[in-house]
Amino acid sequence: MLSESFVASTLLSAKSPTATLRDVGICVQEFQPSPQLRSTFKKSSTAANGLAVSPTHIFSAQAEKAVVHVYSREKGNQEALVPFPERIRSIAVAGAKYGDVLVLGTEGGRLILWETCTGRQVATTASHLQPVTSLVVDPTSNFILSGSPDATVHVWSLPGILSFSKPALGQNRQPSNAPIRTFSNHRAAITALAIGHSNGRHNIAVSTAKDNTAIVWEYQTGRVLRTFLLPSSATCVALDPVDRAGYVGYEDGSVQSIDFYRAHTVQHALHDVSTQSTPAQVSLEDRWLPPAADSGSARAISLSYDGTILLSAHDSGKVLSWNIARRKFATTVADYTHPVTNLVSLPPSGLQQTTKESKRTIHTIVKPRHDNAFADPSHAPGSVPADYVFNTHIITPSQSRTAKPSLFTEALTHASFPDSMLDDGLAELAALRTSGGSDVARVVPVTPSTSNSVEDASARDNHVTELEAEVSMLKKKAAVNDTARHATSNEVVQLRSDLAALQDYINELHEKQEAAQRDKVLRQARKEERETKKREAWLAAEKKGRNGDVVMKKIDVDDGALTSDSDDLSDE
Amino acid sequence: MTSTTLRAITHRLTTTPVDQLPSIASFLATSLSDCAELLSAPQSQKPGKSDSDNAVQIHKLKTRLASLLQDRSVEGRWTAVVLVKATVEAGQWEILRGYEPIVRGLIGILAKPDPISTRKMSIITLTRIFHLTYQYPTLVREITTPHLPGFITAALNLVSTLVKLPSGSSRKPKPNTPFMEIVLHAILELVPRHPTIFRPFGSQLRSLLTEILGASEPVFYPEPVVDVAVQLFASLYKCAPKDKSGSGWTDDSRSTILSVHRATDHVFRAVVEQWESVDGSLVPIKQNYSKEVGDGGSDFLGLPSWRGVHSGANRILTLLRILSEFISMPSASNVALPLGLILDLTSRLTSVIVPANGESANGAQSNPQIGREEREQLWAELPRIHIGAMNLLAHVVSILETSTTPITQSILEQANWVFRNEKFSKDVRHTTYDLLQSLVFVNGPAMAKQSVTSMVNVLRSCCHDLLPVTGDSGSQSKSQSDPKSKSKAGPGTSNADSFLNPNLNARQISIASGSSKIEDSASTLLQAVLLSVPSELLAASVRAEIDRTIILTADKDAMLASVLNPIPAVKGRGAGASLIPFLARTYSDQKEVEALVRPRMPVLMTAPELDAYAENEEEEEADEMVTEEYDAAPAANEFLKVSRVETQKPEPTAAAPSLHKRTYAEESTLQSSGLALASEQQAGQTKKARFEEDISTNAAEPVSGQNQPSSVAKVSVSSATSADAQTSTTTKETPFKAQVSTVSSTSQPAADVSVDDSDDEVPTLNMDPDTDDDEDDDVTMEG
Repeated sequence: MLSESFVASTLLSAKSPTATLRDVGICVQEFQPSPQLRSTFKKSSTAANGLAVSPTHIFSAQAEKAVVHVYSREKGNQEALVPFPERIRSIAVAGAKYGDVLVLGTEGGRLILWETCTGRQVATTASHLQPVTSLVVDPTSNFILSGSPDATVHVWSLPGILSFSKPALGQNRQPSNAPIRTFSNHRAAITALAIGHSNGRHNIAVSTAKDNTAIVWEYQTGRVLRTFLLPSSATCVALDPVDRAGYVGYEDGSVQSIDFYRAHTVQHALHDVSTQSTPAQVSLEDRWLPPAADSGSARAISLSYDGTILLSAHDSGKVLSWNIARRKFATTVADYTHPVTNLVSLPPSGLQQTTKESKRTIHTIVKPRHDNAFADPSHAPGSVPADYVFNTHIITPSQSRTAKPSLFTEALTHASFPDSMLDDGLAELAALRTSGGSDVARVVPVTPSTSNSVEDASARDNHVTELEAEVSMLKKKAAVNDTARHATSNEVVQLRSDLAALQDYINELHEKQEAAQRDKVLRQARKEERETKKREAWLAAEKKGRNGDVVMKKIDVDDGALTSDSDDLSDE
Repeated sequence: MTSTTLRAITHRLTTTPVDQLPSIASFLATSLSDCAELLSAPQSQKPGKSDSDNAVQIHKLKTRLASLLQDRSVEGRWTAVVLVKATVEAGQWEILRGYEPIVRGLIGILAKPDPISTRKMSIITLTRIFHLTYQYPTLVREITTPHLPGFITAALNLVSTLVKLPSGSSRKPKPNTPFMEIVLHAILELVPRHPTIFRPFGSQLRSLLTEILGASEPVFYPEPVVDVAVQLFASLYKCAPKDKSGSGWTDDSRSTILSVHRATDHVFRAVVEQWESVDGSLVPIKQNYSKEVGDGGSDFLGLPSWRGVHSGANRILTLLRILSEFISMPSASNVALPLGLILDLTSRLTSVIVPANGESANGAQSNPQIGREEREQLWAELPRIHIGAMNLLAHVVSILETSTTPITQSILEQANWVFRNEKFSKDVRHTTYDLLQSLVFVNGPAMAKQSVTSMVNVLRSCCHDLLPVTGDSGSQSKSQSDPKSKSKAGPGTSNADSFLNPNLNARQISIASGSSKIEDSASTLLQAVLLSVPSELLAASVRAEIDRTIILTADKDAMLASVLNPIPAVKGRGAGASLIPFLARTYSDQKEVEALVRPRMPVLMTAPELDAYAENEEEEEADEMVTEEYDAAPAANEFLKVSRVETQKPEPTAAAPSLHKRTYAEESTLQSSGLALASEQQAGQTKKARFEEDISTNAAEPVSGQNQPSSVAKVSVSSATSADAQTSTTTKETPFKAQVSTVSSTSQPAADVSVDDSDDEVPTLNMDPDTDDDEDDDVTMEG
């Protein structure tokens, strides 16, 4: 279940609150889905910009005292009370996800950086001429912006201040714990600072001052993007989650939105060069008025996670919520009697990503060490001292480990086993089965007595197989004989039939021969007959006185036809 | 529905012959996990009839599984293990309750000579069961407390033999056991959850692990085993005796650091170290220089002795890995990371680097008592040691994230120092890229100019690693790193095959490189630098090289980063160019590109880039015209405008950067095309152009008239290869454009007369062959 809360801190006043809120200085209040006081921390009184919240701790700079109270959100109690040499006028947390570095702005115009995990404490030059009253840290935790009644905003480099080994000094010859840039476009005391939500180079900052202006500028380049002339002096400022608009609160308890976009433009209006030099007038009538005139000055404002609800903390002790879309007051969320000076929205609980991301957590902070332990060793300037230790509780392994999950971890959380593992197992079982009984025999418990019988059995088995081999051999031989016999008888039958066929053939030939003989005899006889006829005819012709040869020829011709006929016949 | 599934499962499980069960085991397991709802439903709240039926089925299933675990056949036990795991995953608490006999059966299997897979799966199943019981005190009482010690003993017996000593029992690893990795994994998984039960085994485990981690020559353990052993070693402090468990982490990590120092004392004895510890308590040990390098005794962690430089380096690496695990594994409670000591250690390890050339000792004086052989052996081992040290630092950065801020500068200096002399090693480069990338991510926006300058070498080498090694690009980047190398290279040294078949070469390389890890690291480092580091701190030439590289490699993310953080506009040099056209052309279908180019919501843009954007559009137009083979006159006009400015600049007095850049690019293109001779003529021609107006007018017309498509095409190609699109486009085309400009300024009065008009002029003599060749070459080579 998604729920959203904020942390509010109050300044002690003469008024006496109800019993539940007695002594309470810091409240964790849920406002969505329903307003509800979640937890309280006691004995704290903070001025504006005196509250900082990290994922594990709440830090509150006490008003009129040089003391910071540290409360553990995990345990819900006050963990430490840390004294400082100067009064702390503003406080902020750096170190994005974990909030490991606390930035403190002092009465004397310097910053103190306290690494809450190591106890190291580093101070900067006193670059502000007046107390540091407002502090913001950029989303990348690389820059700190500090505002002061001396009308300047300083930009500091966090690595420059914290680094043990400083890069060699450049041309500017500035000590590395001095501000890298000063923004001095305001003409009066800075009242509030807000920083954009970009990690990039063109992130914006909004500063408001007592000269009734709000200036939007780029803190990494120092370029002024837009100047807004406000109807009166703003006391607090907040930015939309997408930097589409800014919101300011006024002394009279009203709040106002400053739209950065003009209609129908695709480009971010802040970066339109043509409007950068002209201040924009913000109309007095556009203010969103509080429900009652006695609500008191707005001391802090803050936005919900989705940027649709604006929360404002007032001197009357009330926390009001405003509907941004309808541009008017919505409800009173809480009433803490004492003036509410700080308001910090917490990221909603129940979002998947916020819980997963952090790799470590801090249970107890390490108080600043005032001994000279972290001074550079004399022989090696710039090196890290040996007793510089970082106290933390590592909760998830770092990324490089999880990059290559082993088969084991995969199998451990698998619904049964990964397929590759099952397949290996099946292959192994199959190999066991096919390789025969020897492996199975190894698995079955084997005693010496049974092994004897196994030997006997195997001997008998051997004999039996021998006999069987013999029998099969004999059978084979018999079969061979059989087939041989079959083959010979078949041969005989074949031969006999062949013989019969030959006999028939001989007979046939004989008959043919006889027929031919007879034919020949007949032809002989016919020839002789013709011979005789011829002779008789010749004789007769001679007798009649005619030429016998002509007759002969004529008869020959007849004969030729006749003999050819007969020859043909005989050929057939 | 699920109840019928469950009934079907129990039915099949009881009726199928045991030796056929394995083949359906996978299917049954999947079906069982489908019944998860039923199996995990609390049994006490089921008064209905169907529910009691389910209870009966579940009971049948459990009894069948229990009997299968005791089955005589291998197949039965194998199936039982698979299905037990499936039921445990599906049923969780409800099934685990009353699984005590099954756990006993599983432990029993470990001692049996079952197939390896059965035993491996039993180990995993048991680990999972003990893993799950962790959250439930009743189950811990019922299952874990009585059976976990038995499991540990059985598992350890699989991989090692117990040796009884008077001082206590220790374990010797069995050689070649297939179970080593899985057993160590199982123990690693269980130690953080049940540290008290492991307490009696602490010393046994420690002795086993020191044997594995300290293994020297004849014994070998594969990488995964050593990996798990290192992790397990780093979590052993959790099962230290109660009275000292709180300080266990601190003591163990401290003695690891001391052990590294001790091993380093020996390994680095060939040099006289310049390093001085910030920790006063550290005393270097006396050495015997006459013996071979080595440590006779066991060190602070109890790792055994070693001998030889190589084993010494191995030991240092193992110890560094243990230390890395100490700071990256989830800890039992609050721990104090000794950042000071770790940085002290890495500064010692990185202070000795391989000397730049040969024997000239660089930052480390050689120890005269040690022979040259050992020292050279040490140089060979150094890159490995430095990679280990940088990996340790990478772990530190990854766990501290933004809180690394106080020490980023120190880490950066160490990494750059090592990189300077050891960039020949691919692994050193890879590790440096990764480490620097994480640093830039943390502190990039607020980096000082000096830090950015110190990284320039690394960035150049990134580009070199990303670009394909072959052809024009390779020689170009080489010539940029040292311009003299080209002239030295004789004709005999070049690879003749590459001239014969250049395409083949390119193809082979593209296969060989694939997607290597070093390229990924180099690309992420470039992205981080483009995104985080203020662009005005990066020297223009480096930025140009980076831009050129990411265009050539079509690296979408890097191009996006470059577009989001454009080159700052310099006064008097016109608008800064952007890579948007290349991005839009290559990845027009990607949603990031769409969001960037055609924003639905307002985008952020700085003022000078407004003009740059207009410029880019014109450039895009020019490209489009090329594709349409359109009359090239407007394009020529545009170039003409630019080139006139360029040529009229008095060359010798021109500002140093622009001049250098131009001649540079020219040289490189020419060198790459192999026309070393022509280069001088070419360079001269640029200057002469104005004086030889008549000749060049005549000469230019035919060239531009005939070669119009190809030369314009070349413009687009060359701009694709150039990083700083605007500048180098003009630079490369100088000969061509110089001619065009003279045409328009002398013979043609109006600038908008198209080049084609002058085609009527009679082409006369003196067509400059060099120009022609050069252009043709360029086209073929780059196209």
